[in-house]
Amino acid sequence: MGVQKDRVKFNVGGRHFETTATTLAIAGRNSLFGAMFDENWDLDPTAAADEHFIDRNPDCFAVLLDLLRTGELYIPPNIPERLLHREALFYGLSDHLRAAKWGPFDGNTVRLSRSIPGRAPGDGTAIRAGPDGGCCVAHGSMVHVYDWAMEEHPPMNLDYQRVNDAVWADSNSIVLSACERLGRDDGGMGLFNASTGELKYKFHVTHDDQVKSFTGGALSLNSDYRLFGSCRGRSNEYGVGVWDQLSGKQVDFFYEPPGWSLGEADKLQWLHGANCLMVATLFPRKDNCYISLLDFRDKERMVWAWSDAGAPVGDERRVRDAIAMEECGSICVVNEYEDLGFMDLRRSGGAMRWRSRSPLMKGKMPDEPCYPKLALHQGQLFSSMNDTISVFCGPDWVLTSRLRNSYGGSICDFSIGGDRLFALHSEENVFDVWETRPPPIM
Amino acid sequence: MSSGQKKRNFQIEAFKHKVVVDPKYAEKTWKVLEHAIHEIYNHNASGLSFEELYRNAYNMVLHKYGEKLYSGLVSTMTFHLQTMSKSIEAAHGGSFLEELNSKWSDHNKALQMIRDILMYMDRTFIPSTRKTPVHELGLNLWRDNVVHSDKIQTRLLNTILELILRERTGEVINRGLMRNIIKMLMDLGASVYQEDFEKPFLDVSADFYRVESQEFIECSDCGDYLKKAERRLNEEIERVSHYLDVKSEAKITNVVEKEMIANHMLGLVHMENSGLVKMLLDDKFEDLGRMYNLFRRVPNGLSTIRDVMTSHIRDTGKQLVTDPEKSKNPVEFVECLLEKRDKYDKIISLAFGNDKTFQNALNSSFEYFINLNPRSPEYISLFVDDKLRKGLKGVKEEDIELILDKVMMLFRYLQEKDVFEKYYKQHLAKRLLSGKTVSDDAERSLIVKLKTECGYQFTSKLEGMFTDMKTSQDTMQGFYATYGAELANGPTLVVQVLTTGSWPTQSSVTCNLPSEMLALCEKFRSYYLGTHTGRRLSWQTNMGTADLRATFGNGQKYELNVSTYQMCVLMLFNGADSLSYREIEQATEIPSSDLKRCLQSLACVKGKNVLRKEPMSKDIVEDDGFSVNDKFTSKLRKVKIGTVVAQKESEPEKQETRQRVEEDRKPQIEAAIVRIMKSRRVLDHNNIIAEVTKQLQSRFLANPGEIKKRIESLIERDFLERDNADRRLYRYLA
Repeated sequence: MGVQKDRVKFNVGGRHFETTATTLAIAGRNSLFGAMFDENWDLDPTAAADEHFIDRNPDCFAVLLDLLRTGELYIPPNIPERLLHREALFYGLSDHLRAAKWGPFDGNTVRLSRSIPGRAPGDGTAIRAGPDGGCCVAHGSMVHVYDWAMEEHPPMNLDYQRVNDAVWADSNSIVLSACERLGRDDGGMGLFNASTGELKYKFHVTHDDQVKSFTGGALSLNSDYRLFGSCRGRSNEYGVGVWDQLSGKQVDFFYEPPGWSLGEADKLQWLHGANCLMVATLFPRKDNCYISLLDFRDKERMVWAWSDAGAPVGDERRVRDAIAMEECGSICVVNEYEDLGFMDLRRSGGAMRWRSRSPLMKGKMPDEPCYPKLALHQGQLFSSMNDTISVFCGPDWVLTSRLRNSYGGSICDFSIGGDRLFALHSEENVFDVWETRPPPIM
Repeated sequence: MSSGQKKRNFQIEAFKHKVVVDPKYAEKTWKVLEHAIHEIYNHNASGLSFEELYRNAYNMVLHKYGEKLYSGLVSTMTFHLQTMSKSIEAAHGGSFLEELNSKWSDHNKALQMIRDILMYMDRTFIPSTRKTPVHELGLNLWRDNVVHSDKIQTRLLNTILELILRERTGEVINRGLMRNIIKMLMDLGASVYQEDFEKPFLDVSADFYRVESQEFIECSDCGDYLKKAERRLNEEIERVSHYLDVKSEAKITNVVEKEMIANHMLGLVHMENSGLVKMLLDDKFEDLGRMYNLFRRVPNGLSTIRDVMTSHIRDTGKQLVTDPEKSKNPVEFVECLLEKRDKYDKIISLAFGNDKTFQNALNSSFEYFINLNPRSPEYISLFVDDKLRKGLKGVKEEDIELILDKVMMLFRYLQEKDVFEKYYKQHLAKRLLSGKTVSDDAERSLIVKLKTECGYQFTSKLEGMFTDMKTSQDTMQGFYATYGAELANGPTLVVQVLTTGSWPTQSSVTCNLPSEMLALCEKFRSYYLGTHTGRRLSWQTNMGTADLRATFGNGQKYELNVSTYQMCVLMLFNGADSLSYREIEQATEIPSSDLKRCLQSLACVKGKNVLRKEPMSKDIVEDDGFSVNDKFTSKLRKVKIGTVVAQKESEPEKQETRQRVEEDRKPQIEAAIVRIMKSRRVLDHNNIIAEVTKQLQSRFLANPGEIKKRIESLIERDFLERDNADRRLYRYLA
C-alpha cells in the first residue's frame, strides 16, 4: 500500500516511466520536480489516474532519472554530453550532474578528464579557472571562455590589444588587462560578461584628476570586491591601482618607489590574513626580481620586500615564479630548473632557502622551455615544468604526484579552481582538464 | 536513437529558425503565462498545467524572448499588487493589519508559484543579464506598491507603534499578527525594517521611557526604581524575542538603559535614605546586585558605583582607625578591620559579581585608611601575637590558615612593612623564648606566607630564630648526654643560644648569677665553645625564666615560676633572712629599673608576694628592706610570678621603636640610591626620589626629606657629587 502511494508515472516524449516521489525528492525544491509536486500546485503525485506528460527527450530523462535513483552518472555512448547538459538545465539538475561528474579537488587523485583543442594562432598567455568549473584562456589579444561543460562562449577582447592577464571576478564576470595602444585610450583593463563576451565597463586610472591611458599587468582580487592591477602609465605613473569591482571606480593607487618595480608585475596575490598584497616582478621581464608586500593603509613604505638586485645571480638562483603561503608565513619561489626556494615572511629581506634538485634536471632541458609556474590549493603546492605538473604535500613539501599528458608540449600556464585543474600547453594550443572522480559508492 | 546521426549543432540551429518564422509565437506564449499569473493571484490555479507553463517559459527564454517574459512579469505583478494595495487601504480600523497580513501571505504563495514556472529564466537568463531574481523582484514590487504606498506607509507604522504602546501599558495584543507583520518588513530587507519601523520605534520608546522614568523617580525609592527599570528592560527583551528582529535587542535595551538608568544615575546612587550608601550599610545584597547589573550596562555606570563605594569605605575606615576608643585594644582594632573587610568581600562576591575593579577599589581604600594610623603595623602584629598565644587553641587547622590569610591581607595594605617586621620580630622572640606559642605549624605557616609576599630577605631573620630554637634543643641534649651523670643532683639548665642579629637586640648587662648556676653556666660555656670554635657567648639574663622549689617557714612547699632576675634575688634569701635593696642590688648587679620591677612583682602583688617588704608600700625605694614571707600561701602548688606579657607599647617605647626603624631605614635608602646611581651615572633630584621610592615601596614608604638627607650624606662621603653646571644633577663617583 505504501509503495503504491509513492509511485509516480511520467510520459516523457512518448516513453513511459515510473518512479517514486522519494526518488524525485532527491532533485530538491529548486528543480522542476520539486516545484511540480509542491503543495501550491495541488498536483497529487500519487493520482494514479493520469501520468504527467513532459515534452522532452526520453533517453536523456532516463539517464537523469538514474542519476537521481543511484547518485551515479552513466552516459550511454549514443547520447552527446552537450545534449545531456541541456536537458539537465531544463530540469534544474545541473548541480546534480556536475557533482556526479567530478568531486572535491585533490592533487594526488586527479586524472586527466579531457583535452580541448584551442584555436588561437600564437602561444598561449594565461589560463584561469572559474569558480564554477569553467575556464578562460588568453592567447594574444583574445580570451576564450568555456563553461563547466566545456561549452565555448563568445570570445572577448579589449580593443584587440595584447592580453596580459585575466581574472574571474565572479562566476559570470571576467576582468582582462591588456597593453595600451599608443595615442588612444585603448587597452588597459575591462570587465566582461563571461556568457555573452560583452564589455561591461573599463577601469580607468586617474593621476592628478586626469584620466590616463595605461598598460594593465597582473591582476588580483580580494574578498571585499577590490580589484588590484599592476599599471604602467606613460610618464613614470607606475604602480598598483585599486578599483571597486562593483562600481568600476578607482579607489587607490600605490606608486612604485624608486629603484623598485610594481607597475610591470608578473603576479599579484592578495593575502587575506595579513590584509596586504604580494607583488612579484620577475626575470626576464626585468633584469632583477622584486617581491614585496603592500599594505594600502600605509602607502609610505612596503611592509615586506625582497630583491636579488646587486646579488650575483646564476640561472639556478633566478626566481621565475613566486607564491605567498600565508599558513606557513612564507613565500615559495621556483627557479627555471624547478628548484623550490622559501623565504620567511616575518623577516623582511630575509634569506632564501633553496631546496636543490638541479643536478637531476639540468641535462634534460627541452629546446623551447617554459618557465615554471606555482599554484597553491588547500595545503598542496603545484609547480609546472615542461609538460609535467608536480604536486607537493605536507609541511616539508614532499613530492607526491606528477601530472603529465604527453600531447601538446610544454605547459606555459595552469590554474586551479572550481575543483578542477586546467593546464595550457604552449605548442599545440591545447588545454587539459584534470579533475578528481566522485568518491566511489562501494 | 537518431541523434547519433545528426550533427548536434545543426539540430539546435534548425529549431531556432522555425520559431523565428512564426512572429506571433512569443505573444501567444506570453498570453498563456500571463493568464496563469492572473489565475494564481485569483486563487484559481488548480486548472493550470505546471508542465505546460514551465515549458512555455523555458521556450521563451530559449528563443531569446527572456526580456519580454521578464518585463511582462514585472507589469503583471505590479498590476496585482496595486489591486491588493487598494483592498488593504479599504480595510477599517483593527482589520487593517489582518488584511495586510493575509494579502502578504497570498502574495508570497503566488510569488513562489510564479517562480516555479519561471525557474529556468531565474537560473539562466537573469544571472547573465544581471537582473533581479524573481523572488527578490516580487519583494521589491510589494515594497514599492504596497508598503510604501502613500495611504499605507504611515498608517502601518502608527498602527504597529500604537499596539506596542498598548502592550507596554499592560494590554494583551495579538503577538502572532505582530510577528507576521514585522517579519514581512524584515523580509523586505534590513533597510525597510530599519527605516519603516525600527528608527521610529526607538524614538517613540525613548520618549516613553523618558516620561516614565521621571514619574518613577519622583515616587519610588532607589530599590523600587531599580526593580521597575529591570522589569521594563526584561519586557523589551521579551518583546524582541517574540516579534522583533534579534538585532533590535541591543538597540532597544540601549534606549531603556539610557533613559531609565544613565540619565538618572547620580540621582539614584545618592538618593536620600535609600541610595547606594544606605544599601551598603544595610547589606542589601539583592538591591546592590540589581544596581550593579543595571549600571554595568551604561557607560560610567560601574565607575559611579565604585566611586561612591570607595569614598564610603574610606570615610568609615578613617573613622575606625582614628577612633581613640578602638586604639585602646589592638586585638579589637584588628578584628574591626577584618569584619569590615569581610562585609565588603561579601558584598562584592554576592552583589557585584566578584568584579575585579571593585576588588581593587576595596583594596586601595583599605590601603588608604589603614596607613592613616601609624600604629597599624604594631596592632596587626599584636593581633597575630594574641592569636598565636592563646586565640587559636582548639581551632581547626583550616581555620587557622583562614585567620592567617586574613592577617596577610591586612599586611599587604601596610606601607611600612618594615615596622611590622620589627614588631613581629619582638613579639615572636617573646613567644619563642617563653615557650608560649601554641602551634609551631601556625607560626611557620605565617612565616612562609610572609616569605612568599615579601621575599627571602624579609623573613630570613625570623627563620633564623626558629633555627636557633631547634639547634638549642639539640645542643642541650648533647650537653646533658655528656655531663648528665655528674650534674644529676644539681639544678637543670636550659640554654637557648640566640644568633646575634637574628633576634631583637637588647643590650643588657649580665647580672651576677647564684654560684650554683654560675658553675653550671660556665660548664655549658666550655662545652659549647669546645664544640663550636670561634664563637662568643654572652648571657642574656634579662630574658630567661626559672622554676624554683621553695619551702616556706610553715613547711609549705611551692614551685615558683619566675624570671632569671627574680631567681637571682630569691636565691639570695637562701643565705639570709632579710636583705636591704642596696644589698640585693650589690649582690646581683641587676640594672636598677629592672630590679625595681622585679622586686615589685615579688613583694607587692597580692597573692604572689613571696617576699615581705619594709615598709609596706606599693613603690620600691632604695631604702626598703626585704625578707621571706613565711605566711605565704597559695591554692596552687605551682605559682607563676610576674610574667611579662607583650602589650601595646607605651609612648616612650613606641618612640624608641620608631627611632630604631628610622635608623634601619637609612642604610636601605642609601643602598637604593647607590644602586640606582651606579646604573644611571647621572640623574636629577626628582628622578632619584621617584626611583628610590619605587624600589623601596615593597618595604616602606620612603620620606623624600630623608632621601634628601641620605643623598647629602653620600655626597659628604664622596659617593656622589653635584654637577658643576646644573646643580639639580647628581653624578655617581666610581
